Amino acid sequence: MSKKLKFESPTFTQRIKGMLGVDFYRLFHTPLFYIFLAIAAIIPAMVSAMTMMPDQNGNKMEPLYSNVWQIIAATEPLYVIRSIADYANMNMVFIFGGIMVSIFIGHDYKSGYVKQLFTTHAKKQDYMISKSLVCAFAMACMCVTYFIGGTVGGLMVGYETTVNVGSLIIAILGKMVMSLGWASLYTFLNIIFRRYFGISIASSFFFGTGILIIGAAAIVENLSLPTGFLNIFLYGSSVNACLTSSFGTLVLCVLVSAAWTVVYNLAGTYILNNSDVY
Amino acid sequence: MNAIEIKGLSKSFRGMYAVDHLNMTVPAGSIYGFIGENGSGKSTTMKLLCGHLVPDEGKMKLFGRDYTDPGVRVRVGALIENAGCFPGSSVYQNLMMQCINLGIENPDEEIRRVLEIVRMEDNASLKFKRCSLGMKQRIGIAMALLGDPALLILDEPINGLDTDGMRIMREILVDITEKYGCTVLISSHILGELEKIATHYGIIRQGRMVMEMSAKDLEGRARVFTSLRTKDMNGAKDILKKKFSDVRTEGEYIRVYDVDDTGSIVEHLMKSGHIVSEIRKNKIGLEEYYIELMSGKEEK
Repeated sequence: MSKKLKFESPTFTQRIKGMLGVDFYRLFHTPLFYIFLAIAAIIPAMVSAMTMMPDQNGNKMEPLYSNVWQIIAATEPLYVIRSIADYANMNMVFIFGGIMVSIFIGHDYKSGYVKQLFTTHAKKQDYMISKSLVCAFAMACMCVTYFIGGTVGGLMVGYETTVNVGSLIIAILGKMVMSLGWASLYTFLNIIFRRYFGISIASSFFFGTGILIIGAAAIVENLSLPTGFLNIFLYGSSVNACLTSSFGTLVLCVLVSAAWTVVYNLAGTYILNNSDVY
Repeated sequence: MNAIEIKGLSKSFRGMYAVDHLNMTVPAGSIYGFIGENGSGKSTTMKLLCGHLVPDEGKMKLFGRDYTDPGVRVRVGALIENAGCFPGSSVYQNLMMQCINLGIENPDEEIRRVLEIVRMEDNASLKFKRCSLGMKQRIGIAMALLGDPALLILDEPINGLDTDGMRIMREILVDITEKYGCTVLISSHILGELEKIATHYGIIRQGRMVMEMSAKDLEGRARVFTSLRTKDMNGAKDILKKKFSDVRTEGEYIRVYDVDDTGSIVEHLMKSGHIVSEIRKNKIGLEEYYIELMSGKEEK
């Protein structure tokens, strides 16, 4: 009746491979990811198209941008927002991403599937790492569709196309790299508020807007202090990746994103290890 | 070897103990029926074993290893509260996700195997949300069976099932212990069903283990009784009480406990002019044993 029982501990790689595999399978086999890819493409195209519409008096509206690539990234690091154009660029992906991550993780809990994961994965860090990586991938893909949507929309409106290509590529890569830090933050927030789906989404949205850093930047600017230190934050570094970026900007993005990823993963793992997960 | 060894396990919620210094031993290869009232701590114990809850104190070992050992936990299958499936995904997709999670090499083959065990091989493409309750419970079992589990933890898997569903579930559980040597920890309120499959029992009350015993122990402890009917039930009961120590009325019957010789009961009644219209010899089952134990009639 009973057979000889063998218990072999899976390696870290085997564990992560299993958890990542599930998350990627879910990502590609459910509509959520594709809906958000579409949203990331449509929104910048719509923002561009809005400038083509006449106002109430039938006059053509003042264009938001002067250059196609300003839809992708600001001309220079604009920590303080003065117009919608200052704000509406690829950084919006981090807001969409926050909502997507909340829904993605929320479904884990709502369906009860998270029980299967935590039963078979004794190491709770696996959950944090996997969710951060998969959601970062999703957000990086959203950056790509945002780029396509923004570019097509901008070209259709007839904006200028002059740009320093190197800086543009660095700005896009920088924002894609920042996706990992943002995904880790959202995973962490969703771990904290795992029992409250509405609060999870609201908190992700709140942090994704960068409102805290924008507020801090306004104070710093009023006090005529240097704003460079804001780059140590996720939003600061994301803003710093702009159309005047250099290679150093990309290095800073990598360092900041990696550092916050480690911080949020450690904090999330600590919470999961020391509290009831379901 | 024991599949589960729990010593001094406690878990409280807002200062109230749900599990209170619990000790529990589940032998490997057994079907362990975990019995208790609502809120007695069965589900909490199961969630603690699965790592869903953090214990306040105590030790839990699975197959001699700490319950946090990844090597042993990857061999645990669980069905706690619900199947834990994505409603918008198909049965196949849900099972596939668990196969990937467990790193199973031939997922298609494994999915076919478990669906066959739970008699759902024709429903793989059905969306989980379209499944009936009985099907969902069976999918939950199938999920738990993936990847050759050494231990199955099943919380009320037969709740809400119809008679046929219960029979199928019973056959599945017996099959998997006999064919695959799996240990099953199962809780249920339907003690009659549990009695048909369990090899061991644990009775929990207010978070504490009241009694652990094997099915053989229960057989030995179960009291024999004779139930009978006469025209004058009260008169017959008074007559029987004079000769036998434990005589009770249970519904429309008089029960005489711990008397092997049914003939002596009939003879005694006939001598007093009572004609027995119906008589049956029986043994109390798990349900009655449990009720007696809970009401304090049975010595602990």
